[in-house]
Amino acid sequence: MIPPAAAKTFDELTLGHGVGLEDLIDRDALSEMVKSFYELLGVPLRIFSEDGKLLADAADQNPLYAYLNSAKAGRVALSDIAGKVKNLALGEDGLASYPCPTGESYVVAAIQYDGKRMGRMILGPFVSPSDAVPTRVLLTLDPALEASRLQELFLELPRAESEAVLKLVRHLQRTLDLLLFSGHRALLTSNMHLASVRESFRELEDKNDKLQTAFDRLKELDRLKSNFLATVSHELRTPLTSIIGYSEMLVEGLAGEMTAEQREFVQTIRDKGEQLLQLIKGLLDLSKLESGTMSLRKSQTDILTVLRDVAQTMSPTARKKEVEIIVDVERGLPLMWADSERLRQVFLNLTENAIKFTPPSGRVTLSARITAVDASNPEEAGGLVILSARRTAIEFRVADTGIGIPEAERSRVFDAFYQVDSSSTREAGGTGLGLSIVRRLIDGHDGTVRITDNTPKGAVFVVTIPVKRATIG
Amino acid sequence: MQLDFVNRELTIKLVYYGPALSGKTTNLQALHKVAEPGASGRLMTLETKDDRTLFFDLLPLTFRNQGSLAVRLKVFTVPGQVIHASTRRLVVQNADGIAFIADSRSNETQHNTESFMDLRENLKQHGLTLKQMPLIIQFNKRDMPDVRSDAEIAELASKGREPVYLAVATRGIGVVESMIGLLHLTWSALDAEHDLNKKFGFDSKAFLGQVAQKLGNPKPIPEILQACVGGALDVLRPEAG
Ligand SMILES: Nc1nc2c(ncn2[C@@H]2O[C@H](COP(=O)(O)OP(=O)(O)O)[C@@H](O)[C@H]2O)c(=O)[nH]1
Ligand SMILES: Nc1ncnc2c1ncn2[C@@H]1O[C@H](COP(=O)(O)OP(=O)(O)O)[C@@H](O)[C@H]1O
Ligand SMILES: [Mg+2]
Ligand SMILES: [Mg+2]
Repeated sequence: MIPPAAAKTFDELTLGHGVGLEDLIDRDALSEMVKSFYELLGVPLRIFSEDGKLLADAADQNPLYAYLNSAKAGRVALSDIAGKVKNLALGEDGLASYPCPTGESYVVAAIQYDGKRMGRMILGPFVSPSDAVPTRVLLTLDPALEASRLQELFLELPRAESEAVLKLVRHLQRTLDLLLFSGHRALLTSNMHLASVRESFRELEDKNDKLQTAFDRLKELDRLKSNFLATVSHELRTPLTSIIGYSEMLVEGLAGEMTAEQREFVQTIRDKGEQLLQLIKGLLDLSKLESGTMSLRKSQTDILTVLRDVAQTMSPTARKKEVEIIVDVERGLPLMWADSERLRQVFLNLTENAIKFTPPSGRVTLSARITAVDASNPEEAGGLVILSARRTAIEFRVADTGIGIPEAERSRVFDAFYQVDSSSTREAGGTGLGLSIVRRLIDGHDGTVRITDNTPKGAVFVVTIPVKRATIG
Repeated sequence: MQLDFVNRELTIKLVYYGPALSGKTTNLQALHKVAEPGASGRLMTLETKDDRTLFFDLLPLTFRNQGSLAVRLKVFTVPGQVIHASTRRLVVQNADGIAFIADSRSNETQHNTESFMDLRENLKQHGLTLKQMPLIIQFNKRDMPDVRSDAEIAELASKGREPVYLAVATRGIGVVESMIGLLHLTWSALDAEHDLNKKFGFDSKAFLGQVAQKLGNPKPIPEILQACVGGALDVLRPEAG
């Protein structure tokens, strides 16, 4: 959420051109203060902002003024008083008093803060006890007003010595100054809090933008890398195929008989060329998979056939290492909607690894059984009730009794070129591409792959792929 | 700077910058203490319980009866702690002049440097350079042990352009001199840009004298300005603006 913009800028708040009385003092607090002063002195008190708005008012209905209001001349006199008082010019000390022609008085005082006029307070009407007699002006104001009644009501006006009123006004000014000061400080503090939140927000947004830019760039670089890999791998493959082809012809004696030593050398060239070709094929696969241009040719696939074929292909290697391969497939598995060639590639890779990382007299087991996608993978949990029809899956396991994969490495071995503990892997050879291709091929089948421990030792690669039989959903 | 034509009032913003605990608040307190009651408003501090400046301090000073213009100085401090970067940026915005308060102790040199770089960076964010900003440097806490020597500072100061002052803010030493020096530079820059002296019939020397007087220093202005141990005070800063 974007924090609300502050109503006023920092300069307006601090340099003193943007804040008024109302910004600095709470209206209710002001009203209460004004009331308590009224109770103390008995003289009505009103507070106006600099632009003439009434902010606080403490006064009971004044019977004299109510009576005057009942006659025309009385009303005129009252509005005259109101106008005069409101626009009274204040002296250097910010004070002025107004003796009304009708005998009562007002005192007006500026409200200042930091050398600036913020408003004014008006005290009155009141009469000073020493000359508490109504003037002739009052008594003869309007024939409709009875003199005796005027006399009586005039004597009911609040009484106060001018000196006492002035003293109180100065006290009020000081109190208000203090209130304004703490109000100003509170206003600034809350604004600064707001500003710093807004600033942090802006900084975060800035960082976000930068990260997004960097991320977009990386994505673009990644795409370029894949393109590059694809192109280069392709261009490498063509001459390499020729190299392998010609050395094969040499070995077969198509260019004349060779000595045993010559044949051995050419054979080595051929073998190394073959290795290089596998690597290039891997790279090409990977870049195709990364760029999403590898298309899977899916059809109804029999799992047992695939796994048996894998075991058969790998059996010479296994025999050489004295590792036993066992295929254990549940009876009655459904056909699976998959690219059989790619599926074969997946299990060839896993089985090759299993043999590679298992010492002699070990065992590699390829197994498959029917399951639900959610059964073992918490990430897939949820919505089972609704999704179960589509969630029948085959769980494959490639289990070995080899060196195993430490917990911390399990997510990383699927990264391209990543190999655990370089010294032992260097012994075993390989490029580190196999599992990253495996992972992507399984992704292409909407499946998952994870690694668990084998007991007592070794690693298990658990591959789960939804069956997605055409008959269901 | 804000010019209020109606009330004929000029408001100048001065900022005391520097690392945490170098004595910025103490400078303002000292100014507040010596200022005549009529000239100084309340010192406002926005601080936390542990007595460290949270947002800033603000001291308003007002000088009237000079030419036809009243001059208000709003003197700010910034919080020195690293985490308050955003507040510093906000406070320093639109500053007319800056006093950099450095801690004289040798082992604080690194903090001074970092804070100064921070100042430069903040000005840059507001599209300003140090060169454009009226700036004085104060080496405070001269009374403490293990401070960088007078000779070392004088040597460095003579090479730099900013006027340099020595101070013991807790005792008010050098505080007014620093302020007068800063005001002198600031006024020169503002006058060069806005032609204030002519427009308002303003005599800047007399104004400075009045300020010094109201800050409790009755010495003649040239003498006060001489308290500076290096740098240039009489530049008119044509780069300003
Ligand atoms: N000895 C000595 N201490 C000082 C001096 N100036 C400030 N201090 C002390 O340094 C501490 C930090 O000062 P303060 O003004 O709060 O620093 P700020 O963070 O820059 O505002 C306080 O304990 C001051 O008393 C000085 O000139 N000499
Ligand atoms: N069955 C396994 N047992 C132990 N470690 C394994 C096993 N399979 C894979 N690894 C580890 O994962 C790494 C990556 O495997 P892979 O991507 O196939 O690359 P390569 O086989 O070319 O090294 C291997 O180098 C090895 O460290
Ligand atoms: Mg491998
Ligand atoms: Mg402070």
